Amino acid sequence: MSMRSWTSLASVAVIAGMLGLPGGAARAEVTLEVLYAFPSFARFHEPIAQKFQEQHPDIKIEFRAPVPDYDEGHQLMLRQAITNQLPDIYYSGFHLLRELAETLEKRDQIIDLGPLFEAEPAEWRAENYSETLLALGKVNGKQYGVPFNASSPIMYYNRDLVKAAGGDPDNMPSTWDELLDLAKRINDLEGDVTGISYDVQGWPDPWLWEAMILQQGGRMVDENNKVAFGGEEGMRALQIFRRLVDDGGMMLIEREQSRQLFQAGKIGMYFDSPALMRQMTDMSEGKFALGSTTFPLDNKEEGGVPTGGNLAVILSQDEAEQKAAWEFIKFATGPEAQTLVVELSGYMPTNKGALGPDYLGPFYEANPNFKTIAEQMDRSRPFGGHRGNAVRLWRAQRDIINNYMRGNLTPEDALQQLVTETQAVID
Amino acid sequence: MASAVAISAPRPTSRRQVLIEKLIGCGFVFPVCVLLLLLNIVPLGVLALLSFTDYQMGAVDFGFVGLDNFAKALGDPVFRRAVTNTLIYVAIVLPGSVVLGLFAAVLIHGRLGSRPFYEIVYFLPITTTIVAMAAVWQIVLHPGLGPVNAVLQRLGFEPVMFLSDPAFALPTLAVIGIWQLVGFNMILFLAGLSAIPRDLYEAAEIDGCGSPVDRFLTVTWPLLGPTTMFVIVTSSITSFKVFDTVVAMTKGGPMGSTEVLLYAIYLEGFQYFNSSYASVLTLIFLVFILIFAVIQTFVLDKRVHY
Repeated sequence: MSMRSWTSLASVAVIAGMLGLPGGAARAEVTLEVLYAFPSFARFHEPIAQKFQEQHPDIKIEFRAPVPDYDEGHQLMLRQAITNQLPDIYYSGFHLLRELAETLEKRDQIIDLGPLFEAEPAEWRAENYSETLLALGKVNGKQYGVPFNASSPIMYYNRDLVKAAGGDPDNMPSTWDELLDLAKRINDLEGDVTGISYDVQGWPDPWLWEAMILQQGGRMVDENNKVAFGGEEGMRALQIFRRLVDDGGMMLIEREQSRQLFQAGKIGMYFDSPALMRQMTDMSEGKFALGSTTFPLDNKEEGGVPTGGNLAVILSQDEAEQKAAWEFIKFATGPEAQTLVVELSGYMPTNKGALGPDYLGPFYEANPNFKTIAEQMDRSRPFGGHRGNAVRLWRAQRDIINNYMRGNLTPEDALQQLVTETQAVID
Repeated sequence: MASAVAISAPRPTSRRQVLIEKLIGCGFVFPVCVLLLLLNIVPLGVLALLSFTDYQMGAVDFGFVGLDNFAKALGDPVFRRAVTNTLIYVAIVLPGSVVLGLFAAVLIHGRLGSRPFYEIVYFLPITTTIVAMAAVWQIVLHPGLGPVNAVLQRLGFEPVMFLSDPAFALPTLAVIGIWQLVGFNMILFLAGLSAIPRDLYEAAEIDGCGSPVDRFLTVTWPLLGPTTMFVIVTSSITSFKVFDTVVAMTKGGPMGSTEVLLYAIYLEGFQYFNSSYASVLTLIFLVFILIFAVIQTFVLDKRVHY
């Protein structure tokens, strides 16, 4: 990559010299290689790149073949770091940023975006970025990433089933106890209908598990890297998980299978990313009326939701490319690009300006379900990013939670195991 | 010089000829040896070297830790579970795919007109990509929407969560493994069957072997010995290397019940980035495969040749 741009730079210089042009007049074209996860996200990455290139004809965006998910992208980055084949811009999963930044930092293959932010006017930063969200891109005090896609879990529900069970689909319960009562009533309806699905035990990452702790105002790990969910919050989370199965009739199946059941109109309430809003809306059409609402909080003051998604990081070591990459990141996280992302997926916009009447205002007016995620934007809490290997940590936790939800462990034993296993991976 | 050669004529010439032939032979073998060295021996050496270090993927340096990784592997419950799961998987897939493959081959072998049809039908699973088929299996086995559970419920059974229940997941994957292998084994058996001379059957019939079962037991089965041995060796190695169905369908879950050896290695090496420990597990895996091949080749070899 940098090899190619060097040669093109050199050839431009040679031609400029031959024609006797002053050096500065000929602007070299910079090509940026960009890698993102989830191939289906091409639906917003491609149009964003296109718009950007229209505005910056001197910068060319080239996408590498997208990786299937964050974990695989992460592995690829660690491998390519060794062989020096890293892309210039990479969209890293929030929860993997710490490991990525700490590994690449030692090899000088990732850059701190702090100075680039500082070089911009302060009003621009205040107008566009929420400091809560920007904080998610910091590792050890350095701003390595700018949030691009962000989402926290929301609740999808089947308005018809809620109504049939005597609930009010326009005014859904906002605490877990009330919600589980409603789930029980839906589960008791005639037919093969399940009340609720909260697939914490089958989720590929600890998103829904952390959500259950954070919604009570708790936290996963304290500042001394000790497990912080071992008390009341952990116990309460496990009790809710128990009631999901006992009262809500939740089946312990794969996440995709749950989603298919919900889309077939056989589950009352279902938790997932707002990024599925477009798909859910299309799939439910003609089958049932789709509703969505914010994640229920037991602790309305301090409770929050873990915010996952991805952030853009610059991995190029070439100065001209870094400058171009910064321009691209500013655009991709700007109001125009973020409006596209929201309309084409359902994600939460990572740009404050995008919420305004010039951008998403009319869209939200027409599509109220898409607005749900924006309503819990100020409840965003960091997701993952603890010390220790994230995949190993979650596989250990998930097996304990699964075993407990199958009724093989008492809540006390399950919590004890969760604390011990978590601490072991963190240390 | 010329006379000296002429006196002891035959020997030096033939010796020289032998030398030339040997050199030519070496020349032919040389490229393969280089490839073998570069693609197999050197990586294996690196693997062995890594297993004595604490190297983590992406790290800038590493130190030697002696046999620590091996000691850890022997006491690691996750690794033991992976070994047990793999052995259970092999124990189901191996007899299942060999017996069914033989059964299908014997049945099809006698058909004249419809034989190609059955051959294609049984061979189809091998030509499909498992990632695509995994999606199909997931729908077929879906606890709420799948046809298998619809039939079970119609018959009055509770729906079975084939891929989500720790008790069912591994056997379910094994059945899919059998489905993948039967066609291939059938083709191998068919080849073996066509090599059996017709007149042996006629001779057996004259000697009083009338029923098809008798004919199978006295002629077909003994003469299929070498084929059977080959099928057993390849099937056990193939099923020992099970990985793709696990990745595509269960990712080692639920609760580690389908975490097989190769998947455990993949997790350590490419998800936990613990390259040195993954190297140790890979070495152990290679030893397993080697033992399989050696036992089967030497022990079974003696019993199948006449």
